[in-house]
Amino acid sequence: MNNVKTDHCLLSDIDFDDRTFPFSYGFLPARLESSIAAVGLLQQPLLLVSDNGFKIVCGRRRLEVISKTADGSGKISVCLAENSSFQELFRRALWENLAIREFNPVETADIYTAAAKLFSIDEIEKEIMPALKLPLKPRFRMRCQVIAGFSRKLRDLLAAGSVDVETVDLIKGWSDKERTALTDLVEETGLRRNKLREVVSRLDDLACRDEVSPLEPLFAARKAVLNEAGGIDVELLRSHLKARLYPQLTAAHLEFAALQEKFSWPADLRLEPPPDFEGGEYRLSFTFTGSDEWRKICDKLASVALEDVDELCRRP
Amino acid sequence: MTILKQPPDYSRSLFRPTKVLVEEEAAGYPLTESIIGRLPDAEVVTIKRPSSEELADLSRQFGPRTTLYLARHRGRFLKACPGTAESYRCCLYQILHLALGCNIGCSYCVLQGYLNNPFITQFVNLDDAFAELDRELGRPGIFYRIGTGEFTDSLFMDPLTELAPGLIDYFGRCKSAVLELKTKSVAISGLLDYSGEIGETIVSWSLNAPRICAKEEGHAATIEERLTAAALCRQRGYRIGLHFDPLLDFPGWEDEYRQTVASIFTHLKGDDIIWISIGAFRFMPQVKEILKSNHPQTNITAGEFIRGIDGKQRYFSAIRRRLYRFLVAEIKRYAPDVFIYFCMEDQYLWQDTFGFAPADNQELSHWLDKCCYRYYD
Repeated sequence: MNNVKTDHCLLSDIDFDDRTFPFSYGFLPARLESSIAAVGLLQQPLLLVSDNGFKIVCGRRRLEVISKTADGSGKISVCLAENSSFQELFRRALWENLAIREFNPVETADIYTAAAKLFSIDEIEKEIMPALKLPLKPRFRMRCQVIAGFSRKLRDLLAAGSVDVETVDLIKGWSDKERTALTDLVEETGLRRNKLREVVSRLDDLACRDEVSPLEPLFAARKAVLNEAGGIDVELLRSHLKARLYPQLTAAHLEFAALQEKFSWPADLRLEPPPDFEGGEYRLSFTFTGSDEWRKICDKLASVALEDVDELCRRP
Repeated sequence: MTILKQPPDYSRSLFRPTKVLVEEEAAGYPLTESIIGRLPDAEVVTIKRPSSEELADLSRQFGPRTTLYLARHRGRFLKACPGTAESYRCCLYQILHLALGCNIGCSYCVLQGYLNNPFITQFVNLDDAFAELDRELGRPGIFYRIGTGEFTDSLFMDPLTELAPGLIDYFGRCKSAVLELKTKSVAISGLLDYSGEIGETIVSWSLNAPRICAKEEGHAATIEERLTAAALCRQRGYRIGLHFDPLLDFPGWEDEYRQTVASIFTHLKGDDIIWISIGAFRFMPQVKEILKSNHPQTNITAGEFIRGIDGKQRYFSAIRRRLYRFLVAEIKRYAPDVFIYFCMEDQYLWQDTFGFAPADNQELSHWLDKCCYRYYD
């Protein structure tokens, strides 16, 4: 692209709020900050002149790093785009970014959403979506639109990797209020990724099953697991939600434990039911260090009443 | 007997496409010509066989809900039912693969997660299908139970394709196999009007609770309509199969399933029914998201589902047991001798419900074969 000239501009003349070219969102990499602190800006950002100052086409992260330390009155060297269409500039920024890094889910969603307004369906499907590694199925487009509409807090969590895209799919039908309650929970507990997804999935299933808002099981769970200091124990929260969603399975596990106690099952012979009591294969395990311990284990096994075994292995 | 206010139109296809996509290879086949002839107002577009990407393009260009796709099938027509892992008992059913997809729109349909082709597709090279059947069914000592309703509904567009009479005629003459046409529709005019040898063709209806039928089964006929159609087919000489699949756990399920069982026996006698299958709701985990996305109003995946040994989500065994015991007891009240079997269930629940269990898939298959008169011929 030749329609670019080198120039200087004031940081204060750059419109950081403009997101016509939304190629970066989220935390600034420490390595970039170190590099700029050590040797300054090695590659000039690409800007576009507009009525409200300069739009950032490419190089937002570099400019944000500089703006953290500079006072805004200093001049910086930039490239200015001239006589170029938005589509040309968008493409350039897209491929320049892709050459050096992966986009996070918020960036992907923002880029897709912005591109959808600039390009034809054919261009979106043949160039933009493959470049963003987005499958062509409608649910991936919908996911992008949902993320673009998230609150700042939630977008920050997603960009930072605390929330994954599977969780986004689960909460895509949630209201702003419900999502806010979730981000509050994340902030309060530090729940992230897999455990967060499990909690959200259970809240969503409970809400769906009982035909209520996810807030209902969330608030009930919070109330049930608050500790004396007013904090939430994450493991208790997970157990509470599991028990509420799987009442019969939970009861079966409790009954199994109660039976072992009733039959005075030896503590060093670990007896486990099949996962979720499905399939019928029980597992017995024990440890030993030599023939003496082996003999003791065998004696204990021989002393177990067969009726007790039958009762323990009776499927719920 | 419940009297229907207005009898349904048994000659109405549930699918009336406004467009027909014809693969170049499918042009000229008699079935292609006859289907197009029955759709005089439809736009007909001939296309080259598309790649999967081109298929996605076609899907955007032509709405799959209103477009019928006619193709020549290149693979095998007769396939073993995919069933599930060995830990659950399967009946070794065979599928005659003549069409793909269905527009009834059941929320729980597993095809949502399996099919890559978004169009309702009819394979038109029937001569190849019958040639393959001739080769396969001629093998000595093997008895086949064959259905067309696994990847589609056997009858939902039969008034448009008019496939059923040809199939009934073929299997009526074939002594080593029975054909089962499985449906949720009442498009049975082709079956009632057929005047040839029926043999032992089975017409089967999927049944469920009335509430599930109304809420989760899209354009399917009501339970009463299905059973009225079943009674008409029985009068005409067909054997009747019934399939409670998927059985769902929801508030008030006992009363609802009791109603359906009572309805069955106001329309049919136990002797009319060759078999009744029962299968509790199960699905591959990845289907859940697709199902919720396609049917946001449904809550059927939000129950107490555990991961089965085959990797599918299924109800915790205590729930399945309760559903099975209840339904089997209800059916047996009316028809103590009717053959009931489980689809994809484990031996423990067989034993617990019936007091016996098939040792393996072959034994279950044999039990079903024995339900067919011609198995003994």
